[in-house]
Amino acid sequence: MELERLVVVWCPELQQEGARGEEARRFVQVVARAGELCPWAHPIRLGVCALPARGPARFFGGEEMVVSRLVEVVGEDAHVGVADGLFAAVLAARARLIVPAGEVRQFLAPWSVATLARPELAVTLQRLGVITLGQFAALPSPHVSDRFGADAAAAHLVARGESGELAGIRDRSIERRLRVARGEDPDLGSAPPPYQPGFFGGASAADTRAALSFARVQDRLGIEAVLLGRVQGGRDPAEQATLVPWGSPEAGAVPTGGAPWPGRLPAPSPTAVLRVPRRVEVVDAAGLALEVSGRGLLNGEPARLSVEGGPWQDVTAWAGPWPVTERWWSVRRRRARVQAVTADGVARLLCAERAQWWVEALYD
Amino acid sequence: MFAFGQQKGAAPRSRELPAGLADRVRPTTPVAGRLLPVPAPLAPLFPDRALRRGTTTTVAGLPGHGATTLALALLAAASQAGSWCAAVGLPDPGVVAAAELGIDLRRVVFVPHPGSGWAEAAGDLLPGVDVVLVRPPGRARQTAARHLSARARERQAALVVLVDHVNEWPEGGDLALSVGAIEWEGVGRGHGHLQGRRAEVRVSGRRSAGRAMECTLWLPAGSGVVAARAEDGPAEGEDGPAEGEDGPAGTGSGEGPEAA
Repeated sequence: MELERLVVVWCPELQQEGARGEEARRFVQVVARAGELCPWAHPIRLGVCALPARGPARFFGGEEMVVSRLVEVVGEDAHVGVADGLFAAVLAARARLIVPAGEVRQFLAPWSVATLARPELAVTLQRLGVITLGQFAALPSPHVSDRFGADAAAAHLVARGESGELAGIRDRSIERRLRVARGEDPDLGSAPPPYQPGFFGGASAADTRAALSFARVQDRLGIEAVLLGRVQGGRDPAEQATLVPWGSPEAGAVPTGGAPWPGRLPAPSPTAVLRVPRRVEVVDAAGLALEVSGRGLLNGEPARLSVEGGPWQDVTAWAGPWPVTERWWSVRRRRARVQAVTADGVARLLCAERAQWWVEALYD
Repeated sequence: MFAFGQQKGAAPRSRELPAGLADRVRPTTPVAGRLLPVPAPLAPLFPDRALRRGTTTTVAGLPGHGATTLALALLAAASQAGSWCAAVGLPDPGVVAAAELGIDLRRVVFVPHPGSGWAEAAGDLLPGVDVVLVRPPGRARQTAARHLSARARERQAALVVLVDHVNEWPEGGDLALSVGAIEWEGVGRGHGHLQGRRAEVRVSGRRSAGRAMECTLWLPAGSGVVAARAEDGPAEGEDGPAEGEDGPAGTGSGEGPEAA
């Protein structure tokens, strides 16, 4: 599972609420200023606030720029870090580091098991000679869940860099505490943040219930885990639709949908559009690799195919090729699409660029 | 005896409730409210001709045999009727296909990559939405399956489980749909385009009242919706579709894309 890339702002001075509530008020300011950089900044617990990294990094020209902008605008003694998943991002902030994408596990390895904030588990592990997250991650998962239970299994996933969420990282009462600090009515809007105000011209009880459940899933898996589909114009199956996070500003936009778009394949459309196309080999009856010419024609008839080195399957029916010439104004790409049905009845949408073939989508 | 008669006589008076009160004392969950609509061609598969709230329906089929199409189609009418729906664990959902099946995209959230948290995510969603479609990453654990079915019952949501084989859902559903033999129409050797998939769908399970039923459906037909076979509808005990008698609904002629 791909973890959401997060920027975390960690203000060590604001972690503990003092007698006068000064810290919470200052933290409100931190969240508000971070929110000026990215509307998605959200408080995690007192002194810790997170924002998705992707959008702002694109806008400001890199994660380094986002980090330096944040340090500038926040105005407190703020440590800022970037990593995949919330747990690693908080540690990265403490260390003021940008952890490259995909290297969470290596980054976490030297940290102590105590960082998991599970004292009993940490003591037991340390007695067993397991001191770092790296050593903990190296234990086989089934053993961890058998020996230590479900919560430790969740912590184990975090140590392996496969999950970023751990019970206890997020303070569920933080929104309420900040409302108090802002001098607002703490119970006002304790019903979920109306992510989608007026989406259908006012939320019904069912909408509120649904919103609550989506927010719970987002708490568990990250904001980008809950998505709404949007249909738009486009030739590619991948271009015709987008998935936008539920609650994001784009999610409220009216879908244009259904506009005729020249060059798109006729219905029915594939039920699985692969984000990462799979390599496939396609040969003719003589076993020669099939190619698409510059004019979008095939040099033979597809007879067999093998997906990602898998077993060869006979092609029983096929249609196409439909040549695709896109972005002719920038990069001239000659591609062609073929629908292919194999002997097992499976229909795939294949795309070829010269001699390289890909499975783009499946009709399941 | 006499006393009963008198009571009977008194009954009509008690029916003369003020209209407002009569409205308020209606059962809070009318029978119709316990059912969630499904597209008309799928109605014969269900004993109630609709998805019943609180039940678990499994949809099984080998990859490529149209089980995803069938499972997504179960969200179509409910989402159009205003119910919130969710699809958990479909890694690369075909949004256009979903729209073609009649799903109201404004009412369906996708959780494509729940990882090992699929059961928890589905459990979080059951209290909030009317239909949860979940695809477990492999054979589901017994505890997870039992927990989800129980939660669906308790929260009066419909749980739809998409699996490769019905054994992968250890609890067994109240209703089990499985896709058997399929055949694609409209595509030849180098001509036409995929127009429709004729699929044999078998129904069994606790709630099917013991009658195993089979019918042939278009999963999907040419326009992308699901459809019953043209003239005869669901056919019980018929051995497979006859050859070439009814083409898929929708566009004919394989002229391919409108432009190149």
